[in-house]
Amino acid sequence: MVSRIEVQAGRTQEGAAPARPWRLASRSFGRLNGRGLWTLYLKEVKRFVNVATQTLLAPVMTTLLFLAVFTLALGRGNTLVDGVSYGLFLVPGLTVMAMMQNAFANTSSSIVIAKVQGNIVDVLMPPLSGFELALGFAAGGVTRGLLVGLAVWTALSLFTSFAVHDLPAMLFFATNACLMLSLLGLIGGIWSEKFDHIAAVTNFVVTPLSFLSGTFYTVDRLPDGWQFLAHLNPFFYMIDGVRYGALGHADSPLWVGALVLLAINAALFLLAWRILHTGWRLKA
Amino acid sequence: MRVDRINRWNPRGLWTLFQRAVVRHVLRWIDSLAGPSTTMLLYLAVLVLARGSDSHEVWPGVDLVSFVAAGLVIHAACISAFESTAGYMLWERMEGIIQDTLAAPFSAFELLIGWVLGAAACGLMTGMVVATVFLPFVDWPAFDLLRLLGFAVLGTLLFALIGVIVGLWARKWDHYAAAESFVLMPLGLLSGTFFLREEVPEAGAWILSGNPVFYIVDGFRSGLLGHSDGNSVVGSLLLVALVYGLAILAWRLVFRGWRLKP
Repeated sequence: MVSRIEVQAGRTQEGAAPARPWRLASRSFGRLNGRGLWTLYLKEVKRFVNVATQTLLAPVMTTLLFLAVFTLALGRGNTLVDGVSYGLFLVPGLTVMAMMQNAFANTSSSIVIAKVQGNIVDVLMPPLSGFELALGFAAGGVTRGLLVGLAVWTALSLFTSFAVHDLPAMLFFATNACLMLSLLGLIGGIWSEKFDHIAAVTNFVVTPLSFLSGTFYTVDRLPDGWQFLAHLNPFFYMIDGVRYGALGHADSPLWVGALVLLAINAALFLLAWRILHTGWRLKA
Repeated sequence: MRVDRINRWNPRGLWTLFQRAVVRHVLRWIDSLAGPSTTMLLYLAVLVLARGSDSHEVWPGVDLVSFVAAGLVIHAACISAFESTAGYMLWERMEGIIQDTLAAPFSAFELLIGWVLGAAACGLMTGMVVATVFLPFVDWPAFDLLRLLGFAVLGTLLFALIGVIVGLWARKWDHYAAAESFVLMPLGLLSGTFFLREEVPEAGAWILSGNPVFYIVDGFRSGLLGHSDGNSVVGSLLLVALVYGLAILAWRLVFRGWRLKP
């Protein structure tokens, strides 16, 4: 009689006796569970595409409103900021702000909702390692961030006209911005035990850092002490890098920004990986 | 068996409904009071930083910070009132726990009054907290209590009523978010909180004049600054009419159990 285990392990052949009749083998996925990773990624993407009004259109609307309000309140008298009109100066920063907020919202809401509803087990049960989980979630957030960026950029280009100065730099900084916020959302989501917690992270960490990142002003104009503080804000480098890519003017050396972002992203990814590996606040 | 008789009016029930909204607001203070305060402070900070050295006076004796801060106070109050009705009503409907309220001996009118007054109180509370946080940074030359209270109450009532209607209409969070970002955000941000009506182009001024939130913000602000951008009498009449009309609409909707009862 052939046992089920042998059949599953693929060890039995017609007529040939198995060399080792008892062999309990788990399915092997190789080094990386590619199919699982892809499935998780698709789940994360379809989740926000399903509610595109809320996740893609709403950011476009908000950004257009911000642009209108700040240009009306501050952009009068043809004042130039960094050699461009105030409206144009705002465009890259506002776009990155929308991207960051959405990348953060994607991972954090995905995790918190799944935790509160209990369906997080559907993600924890499949054979996905901590590395694969971190990568899948983060990639979903980055995708939402980049799509929002594209949508916002397209909408804004109807109202302002400009040529992109350095596309690779812009893409590099934008992707890193989305990645950082996705990872922050992932870690914040795992830390949160209810919606109030993640709302607090949004209200008291993400919004202040993004508002005070230099989206609305150049840090050159700040008093000395504040300039130093502004440079400690990692969000500043994302805005600055993307603004360089779009308009060709940066407030700080680009390589500093690139290094800061790469280092922070690497550290955050390792942290997220570690957290998912140990199952902190996820597994009993 | 003795049946508790509830006469024409159920004051205890009404008080319970009101109290629930307020207590909930206080208990979740991090989200409902500290959150808006931080956000509004950030708006103010960004504006000051972006404005830089060339600070100018909006009106004689009124600088831009005090001008914008006054508008942000009422802005926060209105959003808070909206969230208090719309957010919780949708949540209760989705969870099915709205049955607890519907099964209680309330008339439709009492339900509406309880929800709306509770939300307005929450809005006023948020407004007061935000105003207190702003106090060290601003210089408000006037204090006209009647105007302040009048426009704050009208504004929060209006937004609470909009919240009831959205709370009934929405079937999922997606709908709620749509109402928030496509109706409330535009009304709130293009309301003259950040700029004077005289300073925007002609078409913008027309849009402002048609935006009820403009009259709320302007009326409230005149209570703190002593200057008005629009006509307060027209504004208050318009707001009273709007509140009345929306109240009738919401009352009919609750009475018929639209999207509440099967």
